[in-house]
Amino acid sequence: VGDAAAAVLCEDRRQTEELRCSDIFEGGTKLASKLKIRVNGLVHNVTASLDTPLLYVLHNELHLHGPRFGCGLAQCGACSVLLDGKEIRSCVTPVAAVTGKAITTLEGLAAAHSSARGTTAVAPKALHPLQQAWIDLQVPQCGYCQNGMMIQAADLLATVKRPTESQIRTALNGHLCRCGTYNAVVEAVQRAAKTMAKGAKK
Amino acid sequence: MTSSDEVIGNVFGATLSRRRFVKAGGALAVAVSVPTAIRASAGTAAGAPLQLDATKPASWLEIRADNTIVMRTGKAELGQGSASGAYAQIVAEELDFPYDAISVVMGSTDVTPDGGTSAGFVLKAKGSPWPEPFGGGALNLQRVSAYTRQALLDLAATNLGVPKAQLTVKDGVVSGGGKTVTYGQLVAGQQLNLTIPTTGAALTSNLNVTGSPPVKPTSEFKVIGKSYPMKTIPDIVTGKTVWTASVRVPGMLHARVVKPPTLGSTLVSVGKLDKKAFPNVQVVVKGNLVAAVAPAEYEAIQAASVLATKTKWTDWKELPGNGNLFNAMRAADYSVSPTTNGPANKGQTATAFAAAARKLTATYEVPFVKHAPIGPSIAVADVRGDGTVHIWTTTQKAQALRGFMANMLGISADNVAVHWTAGTGAYGRSNGGTDGCEAEAVIISQVVGKPVRLQWMRPEDMQWSTQSHPLIGDMQVGLDAKGNMVSFQADYYIPGRRDERPVGALLTGLPTPAGEPFLVHGVSTEWPYDKVPNVGEFGRSSAQIGQEASPIKVGLRVHSMRTPVHRQENTALEGVVNEAAAAAGVDPIEYRLGHTADPRLIAVLNELKRAHGWQTRPSPQANARTSGSAVLKGQGMSVMLRINAYWASAANISVSPQTGKITVDSYTLVVEPGIVVNPFQLRRNMEGGTIQGISETLHEVMAFDRSKVLSSDWVTYPILRMKDAPKVKVSMINRPDLNVVGMGGEAPNGLPQSTLMAALHDATGVMSRTLPLRPAFVRSLLGGGEKG
Repeated sequence: VGDAAAAVLCEDRRQTEELRCSDIFEGGTKLASKLKIRVNGLVHNVTASLDTPLLYVLHNELHLHGPRFGCGLAQCGACSVLLDGKEIRSCVTPVAAVTGKAITTLEGLAAAHSSARGTTAVAPKALHPLQQAWIDLQVPQCGYCQNGMMIQAADLLATVKRPTESQIRTALNGHLCRCGTYNAVVEAVQRAAKTMAKGAKK
Repeated sequence: MTSSDEVIGNVFGATLSRRRFVKAGGALAVAVSVPTAIRASAGTAAGAPLQLDATKPASWLEIRADNTIVMRTGKAELGQGSASGAYAQIVAEELDFPYDAISVVMGSTDVTPDGGTSAGFVLKAKGSPWPEPFGGGALNLQRVSAYTRQALLDLAATNLGVPKAQLTVKDGVVSGGGKTVTYGQLVAGQQLNLTIPTTGAALTSNLNVTGSPPVKPTSEFKVIGKSYPMKTIPDIVTGKTVWTASVRVPGMLHARVVKPPTLGSTLVSVGKLDKKAFPNVQVVVKGNLVAAVAPAEYEAIQAASVLATKTKWTDWKELPGNGNLFNAMRAADYSVSPTTNGPANKGQTATAFAAAARKLTATYEVPFVKHAPIGPSIAVADVRGDGTVHIWTTTQKAQALRGFMANMLGISADNVAVHWTAGTGAYGRSNGGTDGCEAEAVIISQVVGKPVRLQWMRPEDMQWSTQSHPLIGDMQVGLDAKGNMVSFQADYYIPGRRDERPVGALLTGLPTPAGEPFLVHGVSTEWPYDKVPNVGEFGRSSAQIGQEASPIKVGLRVHSMRTPVHRQENTALEGVVNEAAAAAGVDPIEYRLGHTADPRLIAVLNELKRAHGWQTRPSPQANARTSGSAVLKGQGMSVMLRINAYWASAANISVSPQTGKITVDSYTLVVEPGIVVNPFQLRRNMEGGTIQGISETLHEVMAFDRSKVLSSDWVTYPILRMKDAPKVKVSMINRPDLNVVGMGGEAPNGLPQSTLMAALHDATGVMSRTLPLRPAFVRSLLGGGEKG
């Protein structure tokens, strides 16, 4: 992200409470900057150059290891996170592009779900219906790619309440799994959708 | 046991002893007794590490005063729950102990005994030609647990004052004479040891627990055969797993390597970095190893990327290129390693083939593929001032890696500790010890004097890791007048069997393990068709392609990948058996049934017919054709036998002659592994392996030119995606009566190749004898292929 792009970002962020433009530019664009990013409901102060992909900030500054490095090329989806509820590839998304937006990682998925349902108190062991379905149906093998599968599925289920199998396969087609869990993933997304539909009726 | 221990019991030949009484805690530690002479000789073998003393307490099982059990194994699982799940089930079963109260420690050299390689986890078969690796193998583990149960019952008999024969156990609670005591209470306040007799040597992976403690009959199994969940999954789905990528050591720096542009380049000059742009970067150069090291990961990445553009290397062009691979393999020298005989060879194939009524010859060509883990290799290395070396990584054989690193650095293995941490599945590749960035991380850490975290980038992992073998299979099948096989000869050719030489050692010129690369190609197939009177399978291997011509001795290195070389050989074997069935005009399942008297194979084939809804008829189908706008349909099947387990698969496909695209409409896999330990996990394994095999069959081939591997990412090395993944129907045959546990999880990736080739033949009348079946290839095959 060059200075001009950062300036645009800064303009976009002007109205947000947590951020001021000086935060973004402090330290220059190439060298380490002090930034505030909102991750899993909390605002964090981080230090990184503006073009640092979000993944490295999550990993090394915030010690969130749900998203993982797979390719660094936005091809495999192991690094996915939600940005304002939409799946993005954190390995190619500059940290400067996410300031002022809400990032949800795998670690924050359950809390984000509870808060979206208006449940304020989140039990420590509460799981997102996707996570529960993943456990119930024993989806992962090595598990390395599963973060992206669940994040993409969360994005899908936020907009399509009862997706067809074809919709699920299309939505998750950009996520690669080498252990061959694709069909188990489809089953689990369907189960989670069912659970969420039941929960919404209550 | 030491001389100060008080012997308090003999348990079917195992020794129960008490070290002392203690005020708090207490435990019964179960260790195997490796004869001293074997330990000493093993320790002096070239490059072999001295392992954690297996005779010391806590080597195998530890029964704790809080009524929990810790189980330790040097093996490390890779996502299939083999150790954390199946091992715990075996221990729980034999001890009548709650599955959830058993924790499993695996893989780390300083806290587990040598586990041998991470394969063959749950093998259990007396007299099997496959060794039961130390720390693994269900038979060993079952016996260790059985000894432990008897020791605990002896203690309980004394404690309760009730004869042993009147005691029963449920959930770790011993009952008798109206009284109860838990396992935990039996060991509380004491340090007890149980030393179990063995034969064989741990380091050669043929250690066997001996003696005959009473084991639970399979008819009484309550835990084995139930679908316990994998213990790793809750952490995986909530982000709590400690991955190798999560490891952070105080003072740790991040490194990225600038790899040579070819597999044979040497360093000419190292580029200079702009200090203003990269104020915190240190450039490390040792031999042909060039790396950028920085406190911030992305700075190291960017610096390495800039450095790569400014660093100069020699050029090198000594690879054949993948278009010329099979010509190069045909021209290679196979006298460099001995020709091996298949285990089922018998009769006179040459004579019988010459006399056969009909002769079938076919050459199958299987290309290089990549293991292609989703996560590139990663390791954290800490070469400390006190001379010790710590490595955190997702190795499959920590003890071997420990020895390799000690050998490379010229230090004692006693100074090296390998800590296993969770990571990506790699499907082989590092099952010998190392095939990633571990050595580079160690060398860089030694140079900078700080802990170093190194992850290969995606292209680096694709281009510098070992590959799965290509294979040429020359097949000669003689048929009698009725079309039955009377002679079967297979000559299998591969370029090297295994290469354990760490990349870091090759780049720096440091010592690599003795005997590597290992060339000898032992035939991997297990011959399914016992009624064929003359069988000759022969394994041959050349040197690795480009290795000797490479100034840095790299070239195209090879390593095991899931069902190693067996997958490739089976593609040719089952391919030509399908051709023979077609030539005989017999349905391929019926044809196989006619060539075997093995009741296990017969049962699997009959179940495949039922489960898949197989249409019994010869192939190709009556209206098979190679052109037209209509989508053609076909069915195909194949079998595989491996390590005491049986599989058969069938598929129905659609293929468009116009586009060449193959769609798998349905796929069925039947497995019979003897005892099914965990049905649901086995099912997941079968599904996953099949999907991987379909991916290999339809998409995968490693591209390379005369200098380097060209497959560098998921665009240049496409794999199967979710939209094209067919549903996989799995049928499991549980045979507790056989009292064997075969390697059930291993082989499903080795069946889709010949199954889908056969289905394509059924639909079109054209047999492909090579892979992958990508649309452009299929189109050209149908355009230029001959019918029949």
